Amino acid sequence: MAVKIFIATDRLDSVLEKLSTKIDLWIPALLKDDKSGPTGFVPYEPGKAVAFDRQTTMSLKKVLLPQVETLLRFEYRKEPEGAINSTLAVEDRREARPTLVFGARPCDVRALTTLDRVFSNGPYVDPYYTERRKNTLFATLVCRQTDAKCFCSSVGGGPADMEGSHLRIVRTDDGYIVEALTKEAQSLLDNLGDAPDASREKQAAEIVEEVSRRRVGDLDTEGSAEAFRKRFEQTDYWVQMVSQCLSCGVCTYVCPTCYCFSITDEAENLKGERLRSWDSCMFYHYTLEASGHNPRPTKLERYRNRVGHKFSYIPERYEGLLGCCGCGRCIRSCPVSIDIRQVVGHLKENTNE
Amino acid sequence: MLETDRIQLHKLVEEALPELDMMIGWTESCDPLQTTPVFIRDAKLISKLTLGPFCSQNLAGYLVKPPALESVPKDAKPIGICVKGCDSRSLVALIQEKFISRDRVRIFGIPCRGTIDWRKVAQRVGLSDVKSATVEDDFLVIDASGTTHRIGLEDVLARKCLGCRYPNPIIQDVLVGQVATPRSSSLETTYRDVDALDNKPIEERLAFWQSELDRCIRCYACRNACPLCVCQDKCIAETREPRWLTQRVGLPEKFLFHFIHAMHLAGRCTGCGECERVCPMDIPVTLIKEKLNKIMEEMLGYSAGLDPDGVPPLLTFNPGETEI
Amino acid sequence: MTDSSPRSSAPADQTAANTQGIKIVGFLCNWCSYGGADTAGVCRFKQPTDLRIVRIPCTGRMDPLFVAKSLIYGMDGVLVSGCHPRDCHYAVGNFYARRRMEALKLFLPFMGIDTRRFRYTWVSASEGQQWQKVVTEFSEEIHRLGPNPGVGPRSGENSKISNGLR
Repeated sequence: MAVKIFIATDRLDSVLEKLSTKIDLWIPALLKDDKSGPTGFVPYEPGKAVAFDRQTTMSLKKVLLPQVETLLRFEYRKEPEGAINSTLAVEDRREARPTLVFGARPCDVRALTTLDRVFSNGPYVDPYYTERRKNTLFATLVCRQTDAKCFCSSVGGGPADMEGSHLRIVRTDDGYIVEALTKEAQSLLDNLGDAPDASREKQAAEIVEEVSRRRVGDLDTEGSAEAFRKRFEQTDYWVQMVSQCLSCGVCTYVCPTCYCFSITDEAENLKGERLRSWDSCMFYHYTLEASGHNPRPTKLERYRNRVGHKFSYIPERYEGLLGCCGCGRCIRSCPVSIDIRQVVGHLKENTNE
Repeated sequence: MLETDRIQLHKLVEEALPELDMMIGWTESCDPLQTTPVFIRDAKLISKLTLGPFCSQNLAGYLVKPPALESVPKDAKPIGICVKGCDSRSLVALIQEKFISRDRVRIFGIPCRGTIDWRKVAQRVGLSDVKSATVEDDFLVIDASGTTHRIGLEDVLARKCLGCRYPNPIIQDVLVGQVATPRSSSLETTYRDVDALDNKPIEERLAFWQSELDRCIRCYACRNACPLCVCQDKCIAETREPRWLTQRVGLPEKFLFHFIHAMHLAGRCTGCGECERVCPMDIPVTLIKEKLNKIMEEMLGYSAGLDPDGVPPLLTFNPGETEI
Repeated sequence: MTDSSPRSSAPADQTAANTQGIKIVGFLCNWCSYGGADTAGVCRFKQPTDLRIVRIPCTGRMDPLFVAKSLIYGMDGVLVSGCHPRDCHYAVGNFYARRRMEALKLFLPFMGIDTRRFRYTWVSASEGQQWQKVVTEFSEEIHRLGPNPGVGPRSGENSKISNGLR
């Protein structure tokens, strides 16, 4: 059983190809033919270059929570005698194949703890998510490319945080050292490469140690939950913070911890599907009630909800767990440069004013 | 020169603010390459106003999008707004369609020498951490990961700016800074990207849009950033009744969404490029509208947002036209 | 209207055998072309059977997106027909339609959609013969073009395209 292997940079593709014969493999890759263009996680295909140099534009949540998935299929069947009568046939098939995400970031993997609390840990268990979750392994990169918008250390994580990961990848000068952190991951490394030599192993250890010491971000979330409650009705605060918001769904769609979904039935003639798809609390239709009333009519209430959900409601419900992993994607992708760190950071300032 | 313009702007706004309900402008954000819109009621904040090539956002939309600033009582004071050339065209279009009345806005016109596309900067300096960015004459000076880069401004301007015919505001109450020279005066220059795609065989065009639109995540940023997408919360892309689209993520849905956006802007799009700028997936969304703008110019001789008394061509007709 | 089992891209030259399932949707003005089609029927003029007619109150009601959606979801052809210009039941509906349809016609090929699959025309209620001619010609054209390859698979989750670059 291999516990630790070394992969030279130029051998990465062939190793991934071998790996993809053992397990369904997802990698971070360019989505456009432009090295600084958008990136995201995609199923591995031979020759597809891994985009390891930076955090992906889209998070890996779609591996476990696809943008749209079919929950069930239904069909009305007419009775031969008396076409008025029909029976409803429902088919609900789930299939979760063993999957490995190679090259995840610590923030992304940590984000799944929030999703787990909602989908897997009860009282309601979502079988679709839970089965995929159980069958998915994560090979996580010790992250050395943090930027000014990252703040993982502020929300309980860190650039070398391996919580929830099954393998650790350390990028050294001439390749990658991949180490199995759990038993189930060990067999994956069989026949993929040799153990690293002593000097490489030393370098990797130094990198891990150095990265572990880094503190990324300086947001202080202590007491945010209470501060948020005090701010809740201070419309002025939200006007001042998020008047520029466009109420688009970018922040929620790129966010690895945003899990809100919508369920719609799409039928044509006698056949149809029940779909579950990503939804966004930034959208008007998200809270629109059948009566026509909308409790969150403007972007102010909607943005307030996003902040509250992540920094007040989730922590209060799940023993202090934050609904944010500090990946900084919402800041990076926001068309009008709204910085959630500022909005959260200022919650506590002069609350009594 | 930028500094003197900024001082002039501050002075003008300071004088005007008592007569204004609020002032909409740009201010620095957490990202050195992009500004963020700011809404000023307090004179103390005027010094935060900035202008220059980082001010890429089109502010005209804020006047009409919910919570619409325009919807305050009719006797309220006017709203001050900073507009570049292209932004002013959006304003004109909104005035045309009676979403804003001209006397409700105090327009601070800003001649524009082009705005910076952060993606083009990233292509040159990598996606490393940009610590600071300043403009010196015709250069963008960037401090990224400890290295100083000097890039020609021309190389990092947004695509829409390269074929800009209207760098100066079409309407304004005051002008801040010196009048700018248009980069283009011909359809060929303005629509060169459209022509480049049009010159390819139809199969390649389809393949191009398939691979571009495939990245669309339907976050609707392009729609929400568009100052003329005035339906907003009632957009047929999202309503269940009528139901034009499903939540599926196949190419037909993505194509149809962009058709909806484009067709609703046919003859109304002022080419401000916001849809393309805000796209998190880097889809050339504006290119779709540029083609329709070109059709409108060639077929009906109409460019949106130039005449406050004009009527968008698809909202009117001419019985005499027989050539179409 | 939107039945579109994914079809593979077909060669340009089609034989009659594989154009069996051709579907054409016609949006016809209630006051003119719908009557024209009726006249053609009453006079027993032979007409192709691929056309499915949607009656609209006026071509002024014609949203260009009706055409776009039909073609995107795999309809093989779309025919819009209304009153002759200056003959609109509502005086001006077809003047609006003319501009919109023409703009769409010029726009479709930019997005990679064959503009020959869309045609708009004017046929009055008394022109049964003219209707027969229009619909026969258009149907023949669509048969020559073959099935509409569409813009891509309907639900992209498992497709190669939707997982990144092709």
